[in-house]
Amino acid sequence: MTRKLLLLACCIFLLAGSAAAEAVPCDRDGSGTLTASELAAAILDSLDARFMGGTVQAPSPDDLRDAAFVYEYWDGKALTITDSSGRTTTLTRPLKRIAVFNSDTVEMMRSIGVEPDRVVGVSKYTLDDPTYFPEYRGKANLGSVWSPDYEQAAAVRPDAVFLYATISQSSCDDIEKTLASIDPSIRFFRFDSYRPAAYAVEVRTMGLLLGKAEGAERFLAFHGSVMDTVAERIASIPTDDRVPVYLESWNDYKSAGKGSGYDEKIELAGGRNIFSDTTIEYPTVDPEAVISRNPDVIVKIVGAGELVFGGYGDDDSSSFKAVHRAIESRPVWDQIGAVRGGRVHIIHSDAIGGPEYFIGVAYMATWFYPDLFPDLDPRAVHQQYLSEFQRLDYDLDEHGMFVYPYDG
Amino acid sequence: MAPKRAVLLCVLIFLFTAPVTAVSVERTLTSSENDLEVTLTVTGIPIGGIVETIPDGCTWAGTDHPDDQTRVSGQNVAFAVIGEEAIRYRVQGPSEAGEEIAGTWENLQTGESGVVGSDGPKTSGEVAQTATPTAPGFEWAAALAAFAVVFGRRCRR
Repeated sequence: MTRKLLLLACCIFLLAGSAAAEAVPCDRDGSGTLTASELAAAILDSLDARFMGGTVQAPSPDDLRDAAFVYEYWDGKALTITDSSGRTTTLTRPLKRIAVFNSDTVEMMRSIGVEPDRVVGVSKYTLDDPTYFPEYRGKANLGSVWSPDYEQAAAVRPDAVFLYATISQSSCDDIEKTLASIDPSIRFFRFDSYRPAAYAVEVRTMGLLLGKAEGAERFLAFHGSVMDTVAERIASIPTDDRVPVYLESWNDYKSAGKGSGYDEKIELAGGRNIFSDTTIEYPTVDPEAVISRNPDVIVKIVGAGELVFGGYGDDDSSSFKAVHRAIESRPVWDQIGAVRGGRVHIIHSDAIGGPEYFIGVAYMATWFYPDLFPDLDPRAVHQQYLSEFQRLDYDLDEHGMFVYPYDG
Repeated sequence: MAPKRAVLLCVLIFLFTAPVTAVSVERTLTSSENDLEVTLTVTGIPIGGIVETIPDGCTWAGTDHPDDQTRVSGQNVAFAVIGEEAIRYRVQGPSEAGEEIAGTWENLQTGESGVVGSDGPKTSGEVAQTATPTAPGFEWAAALAAFAVVFGRRCRR
């Protein structure tokens, strides 16, 4: 009996300790809400102790800054959020040391204005791309979700780790398990940051989580101005009248099946994926099937796999031209409507495959229905994304190869 | 993102500076006979603190800032800033004493701190002083402010 009581006491003590650790900083009455009056008292105590010779017990600088954040961005209360994996987490302090394994999430964080000094480590892919992510040069290299560097990840003492939500789930689960065993206080969040269906929700969740709700709304207004324009104009086109599209990835004849990301993007742009009846996410299709389904538009993705060229680090259009020519020269493909009509388009994955997917959707919409979008300039959308939201000084009129042919 | 982007390192110029919000605390003095009204105009500091040191010979006479956001101790006055863009307070003393008021501010969201009045007096009768943000760290700013007071006093001797 005594032993049971002791165990109970220990549990109560641990729970109490845990509750204390989870309290909103400077919430003196422990009500769970940091009021203006409590925050003011904390600020004055801190100033008094440091500069006015006061002897009051002042909050630590960390507590004070955390309290200011919680008051300003979370209405003085603990924040409970649900990430894209469905996990719910409650926070009483801001995240200040974030390790991000997902470069798409790094890009999304930049879109909403998250300061890079809150990130302590990034994936090798982010570091391999110093032109696009210059501010992360010198950050700890966490490896990748498939080959994580646990030593580095633990060494940077993250308070949070961001991982993919729906891809490489088992690898991400392993990372969570291992890092949690090293430091149980680490919080884990899952975001894909590239899936159109979850995009706006993820941007908003990220904004709330990181105190960038205004930045998130500003970015979503821009994103929405493009996506809403496209959606409104294609809405009146009956399903059967939608342009049939063949999309091919960087591997020849590898297309997109129902439910895949590219299938979703074709649909968003008002097209009808000719292989949407395939349940395999990325099926390898028979060239004869493409001929028989006779797409009006062909969209070829480059920038990865066997076709690593173009994008931000390449101004040369010759490889795009070669791919374009090769598609038009495929045996018997001159019978396909898209080839006969000169509607074969090449697009780089950096303009459609990640958080910037809406740029690719804008391009496709203009390719599918040029008459519907005489005023939509995807290149201008891309430029605004880079200048205003990615904060990069990159002139698309001077550099980069993202689409071919370009009619702008 | 393609690793090949690295090739154009020289072409791209990194501009990633967080959107710059002008941060300053401007002090405006209005004097009449033996009274000084001080207005602190706070820009870009949603949550922070300000400590003003009023010179010897001046007496604290009150403020319109909320009581629970103000603390007076000797010649020092601390203000907690929570969304306010202006703080007005009054002191009694000679009009020239306004030039000796020294202050420091701290932005609790960014960790920036600075000195109120680092630009010095601008016009007679009404004095506008501004501070520019500096690297995080409040203590040095306080030291600088203290130095400014001492230096100012020495100059007048």
